[in-house]
Amino acid sequence: MSSVIWYLYEFARKSWAEKFAAAKSGHDIVEKPARFRDFPQVFKERCIGCGACTAACPAPGAIKLVRDGDNSQEEGLTYPVIGVGACIRCGFCAEVCPTDPKALECGENHLIREEFTILPVDKMFVIDDYLCIRCRKCMKACQVDGAIYEEDNKIAIDQSKCIACGDCLKNCPVKGALKGIYIANVEEQKQIINMVVQTLEKTIEDRQDEIKNLQANEVFKMELNASDLMERSLQILPKEEMVIDLIEKVTDRLKLRVITWDEEKCTQCRLCVEECPSGAISYDEEYGVKRDPDKCLRCSTCYQTCPFGVAGYYVAKFLFKGSSDDSEESVILITLKPSNLPII
Amino acid sequence: MLDALKDIVRKSSIHVCLINTGGCNGCDIEVVALLSPRYDLEQYGIYVHNNPREADVLLITGAVTEQWKEKLRRIYTKAPEPKVVVAIGNCPLSGDVFNQEGGSVYAPVSDFIPVDAEISGCPPRPSEILEAILAVAPGAIAAKGRQKE
Repeated sequence: MSSVIWYLYEFARKSWAEKFAAAKSGHDIVEKPARFRDFPQVFKERCIGCGACTAACPAPGAIKLVRDGDNSQEEGLTYPVIGVGACIRCGFCAEVCPTDPKALECGENHLIREEFTILPVDKMFVIDDYLCIRCRKCMKACQVDGAIYEEDNKIAIDQSKCIACGDCLKNCPVKGALKGIYIANVEEQKQIINMVVQTLEKTIEDRQDEIKNLQANEVFKMELNASDLMERSLQILPKEEMVIDLIEKVTDRLKLRVITWDEEKCTQCRLCVEECPSGAISYDEEYGVKRDPDKCLRCSTCYQTCPFGVAGYYVAKFLFKGSSDDSEESVILITLKPSNLPII
Repeated sequence: MLDALKDIVRKSSIHVCLINTGGCNGCDIEVVALLSPRYDLEQYGIYVHNNPREADVLLITGAVTEQWKEKLRRIYTKAPEPKVVVAIGNCPLSGDVFNQEGGSVYAPVSDFIPVDAEISGCPPRPSEILEAILAVAPGAIAAKGRQKE
């Protein structure tokens, strides 16, 4: 009895009547939710016809690249056609599509961009696999779990996890195996590298006469005052720490090959003219055999060809010695020795 | 007159028999999802019996394998006329990922029995299966009876 009274009371309320009158059904069960990954959409005009989608497709016959016929105005478009009877809606085609914007769109996965660290770092740490001795000291020193990992017996740094603290660099026992590279001002860095290398080359070529007299196992040593180089670099990029680091890195791995040219020994036999791969050596009846250093590749072919020893071939290595205190000036030490390539 | 009489006699629920001819079972799970309260297949008057003798609709899932080639024909002949065959998913249509070079999959299923409706997808959404059965079954059953005359 009490429940009947309660029902009557409930139905008599105005709010119930209003709700009942304005009742709406929920969303239709047949509708696809927005997150549903449906068949890929093709945007013909964006396709470059690379075929990456067909290669990535796991279902045979789901994607075919087709090409429209040419007409008098333009070439026919190339574009993928999705075979609805075989497509499994995996979205791989959209993920591999290299165009921007994508020629194939399918779901949302392909819109995800790879993670990157949002820390405002100016250095990127990389491991040079050639020099790495796999001592794993960097792994032990690393404070972030999984930022330095080992795969296929190679140690690598996961750039999306690295916080660029530099602890790995401090603990690395091999010079140059772990590098902190400045990722800003790339163009300026390139300019400085070019300038440093050109200056070094010119310094060596200016001393050609002394170099020519080197004996087979003799080593030629010279110094270059780096303060002028530093000054010019600072004009390009006014950050001293970065410039010193850059010059040090450049000189560390740099190996310059030097060709000297002793015209007095030349008998105008012209053997080298034909051999030179870049056409840097030319013959003229008036001037004889001439070498153009700007065209030269330093490949040593002329050195190996010449029977009279006109061309000399030397290898130079460098070491940057920064100023430890203000009284001392920074210098670049240059050592040069004749190459031990055989003369054919 | 006879057609109208037939329509009245045949105005009943749609009885469905599900046949997996060798797929990955994904489409069958979508059919099971149809039976769940969310989609509630039976509110539309569709019953899954898995008995070809009383089926109006044969749902085919899976690519046809060696073992199923003859059995599929036998099941088809067991179903009483008028009957409708609905192919669910990509496997009966193209063999899908199983149709690799050197594989022994016999696609499409229409090589063995006549197919009335095709639902593509791997697997198709339950709502797509539902839509296809409802769109095709009543009309196709009625039309089939008339073709015979």
